[in-house]
Amino acid sequence: MADPTHHFQARPSALRRSESAIFWLFRGATYLVLLCGAVVFLNIFIKGLSTVFQTKAPFVNTTFLTEAPESLYVFEWQGKKMEMGDKEFRVFKERNPAAANVKSESYVYCAGGIFPCIVGTVLLVIGSMTIALTLGVCAAVYLNEYARDGTFIRFVRLAILNLAGVPSIVFGLFGYGMFVIFFGWNTSLLAGWFTLAFMVLPVVITASEESLKAVPKGFREGSLALGATKWQTIRKNVLPYALPGILTSSILGIARVAGETAPIMFTAASVLRTQLPWQGLTRWTDFFFQGVMALPYHIYVVSAKIPQNEYTERVQYGTAFVFLFIVALTAAASIVLRTRLRNRYKW
Amino acid sequence: MASPAPADSAHFIAHKGKFRLFGLTLDTCIKVFFGGNAVVSIIVLALITIFLFREGAGFFGQNRQNLKVYREAGLEYVDFIRAQQDDHTALTRYLSDLRLRQFQHFTQHQHLTPAAANAALAGFDEFAGQYGDAVEPLRTLVSDLTEQATAIKERFTVMEDRKTERAQLLAAGKAQAAAEVGITPVDFVAELKPILGTLPAYREASADLAKRLAGIVAAAPAMPTPELQARLDRFRQLTAEYLAGFPAVARNLETWDYRRPVPATQEFSAFLFGREWVTASFWQDWYGVIPLVAGSLMVSLVALVLAVPLGVGAAIYVNQIASPWEQRLIKPCIEFISAVPSVVLGFFGIAVLGQTLRALSQQTWLAWVPGFPYSERLNILTAGCLLALLAVPTIFTLAEDALNNVPRSFKEASFALGATRLQTVMRIIVPASLSGIISAVLLGFGRVIGETMVVLLCAGNRIAIPDFTAGLAVITQPVHTMTGIIAQEMGEVVQGSIHYRALFVVGILLFFLSLAINYAAQHIVRRYRISIG
Repeated sequence: MADPTHHFQARPSALRRSESAIFWLFRGATYLVLLCGAVVFLNIFIKGLSTVFQTKAPFVNTTFLTEAPESLYVFEWQGKKMEMGDKEFRVFKERNPAAANVKSESYVYCAGGIFPCIVGTVLLVIGSMTIALTLGVCAAVYLNEYARDGTFIRFVRLAILNLAGVPSIVFGLFGYGMFVIFFGWNTSLLAGWFTLAFMVLPVVITASEESLKAVPKGFREGSLALGATKWQTIRKNVLPYALPGILTSSILGIARVAGETAPIMFTAASVLRTQLPWQGLTRWTDFFFQGVMALPYHIYVVSAKIPQNEYTERVQYGTAFVFLFIVALTAAASIVLRTRLRNRYKW
Repeated sequence: MASPAPADSAHFIAHKGKFRLFGLTLDTCIKVFFGGNAVVSIIVLALITIFLFREGAGFFGQNRQNLKVYREAGLEYVDFIRAQQDDHTALTRYLSDLRLRQFQHFTQHQHLTPAAANAALAGFDEFAGQYGDAVEPLRTLVSDLTEQATAIKERFTVMEDRKTERAQLLAAGKAQAAAEVGITPVDFVAELKPILGTLPAYREASADLAKRLAGIVAAAPAMPTPELQARLDRFRQLTAEYLAGFPAVARNLETWDYRRPVPATQEFSAFLFGREWVTASFWQDWYGVIPLVAGSLMVSLVALVLAVPLGVGAAIYVNQIASPWEQRLIKPCIEFISAVPSVVLGFFGIAVLGQTLRALSQQTWLAWVPGFPYSERLNILTAGCLLALLAVPTIFTLAEDALNNVPRSFKEASFALGATRLQTVMRIIVPASLSGIISAVLLGFGRVIGETMVVLLCAGNRIAIPDFTAGLAVITQPVHTMTGIIAQEMGEVVQGSIHYRALFVVGILLFFLSLAINYAAQHIVRRYRISIG
């Protein structure tokens, strides 16, 4: 055996070699996962960039971000190949009477933009998160502040755990059966709100409860000792300290709500609505009872329900890019805020 | 708890407890309000159950009716003969496979030109042609019978529709109009007579087929190699078995009776164990869930095989081996992956991964992998890979939590006894948190089997039980899944139809499957947790 330079220095041995080999295996698994995630992100970001951004000023493709989807018309005009959206093509035909009968091929959804989808997704998220946060925070307050262990609470917790595991498509079926058919709301914003809210409820409750738990017991005891009622204690001494945590953790819920397609497929999403949700309403209540376009559903429609051709890829990647960008932004915000918050309150 | 002040208490708390609603103090009211919100999750769970059953429960009655019509209109009778014809078709497919193999042998090993190889196969082609044509009389019979049976079924359906129409008119109070709806009940005895009358013709056709096939097979040409000769012998054997089945078919036809009742259990068993999901067919609709369950399970299995080592491995690495800065970097990144919407992943599968994997499968140096090369771009493998990426964050987060819960003292004790880091991780930490890891895997399974968009976009959407005889190559076949079929067909069905209800029953199945998985995960954690202390 070689003389070691130091008695406690590690000597290379078969055991040590196999140890480091196995550790490298684990390391490889970890980085493989990250690599796969990065490939998906980069693929969509790089290919989506060309749709959403352009080399000429104003550098952002404003048509894509601010207009409704249209059909794309491709035709030959004076020896040049022209591509035009529906509206532009009509104007073009009026200006050039000779073009009235020009032979053109049309591709659905390949021109115009995705503004109604963005609006629809935002509306869906705002409405369903409002419902889910109201219900979820109140439920968490009860579970953490009022409840004592017992059969009832065990049932509630069991229900929350099980609700978290129900597949999203089952929520879709449930929403369809209850809101769309039984309540007669048809495919509507309201039906989508409730379906999504119930789906995200377990996430919100769990996040809220954790934030409430993080508030030290001393805060409550001090308040109660000064003669405040339970409700005064909760309102003045517990909720204000828990609320930032509740909101940041709930942002993950937002990412989930925005990302789900299956629950809104039959409850809220329409394939095409050129009017924005606030246009053309006869009564203000109609606002809640209309279907909306949504980004995830639009991705599904353009990538699986319409015939594929060279022009669809642009709108597919563009939509996926915008969607992923929004979701990633919320998720990143949640993660960053949470780390910040952890460092802010120390008790 | 509310603590209402006694009536004669000091002034400074006098404002408490003044407010009363139904005899409750303000604090109790607030408590009840919060409690009510907590009950919401129980209510939602109950509502899901109620509404799934409300829409789906009618399926079984309708399925029974469906099966009854199948029998009474003579469709079942015709299907006995059709099965015989279909078996013959399967045998001719075996022959064309044999031809392909011979052709490959001639061109690749004997280096014949394709034209010369075709010429060498002329004898075989004649044999195969004769074999294929032998079934012609039977086929004519089947197509005649099909028309007759379809006509009976059509008449029956029209009468059923009229019955509903009359019922609706009566419900609307229009007795006059209701009486005008003519209903002549279908006389199955008379209607079925011509179908049953073809039995002698069938006997003749069947006997003729048996004689001709036996003659043709006996005169089969010799094969160029022993390996192919063995296949031909196998074909002879299969034909003999096929011919041996003829008397059973004849017996079935003789004893068949349209009045035989459909057993009450069949409406359930036809759904749960049915091997076919055929909808909107002119002949007969089948709602058998087995192809969908098999598809869902296969996709989940592939996803888990990929995701479990990666997810658990990453969890062990991050929790036990990685340096603190790596931990701080990797954990948010994996959480970030979990935020990728499934529809985006599905789109990625269609746009990129499908082609990439197929191109990879056609590389010669990967030909040893079972199932490679394949031509279907969207299949179990594509969907499984993407679902694995979805399942990894779930498994990782939960498994990491479980590893984190192992007390520090376990680790310290192990080190103190002189164990290396690897020994500590593999023999102390992982076994101590095994229950948590298993439940993490189960919850990952629940996440994968309930996932809709990825499988809808990437699993290939072919409704058939995967061919398990292909061995591991089964993973390159397209399938359809429980979640996918709901998402795909729900938008197209008529509300209240049997198809619509069948989709809800699939939803019920999924719902209870997810509850069972959840229960198992919780049970394992509770039952096998190592007591710490």
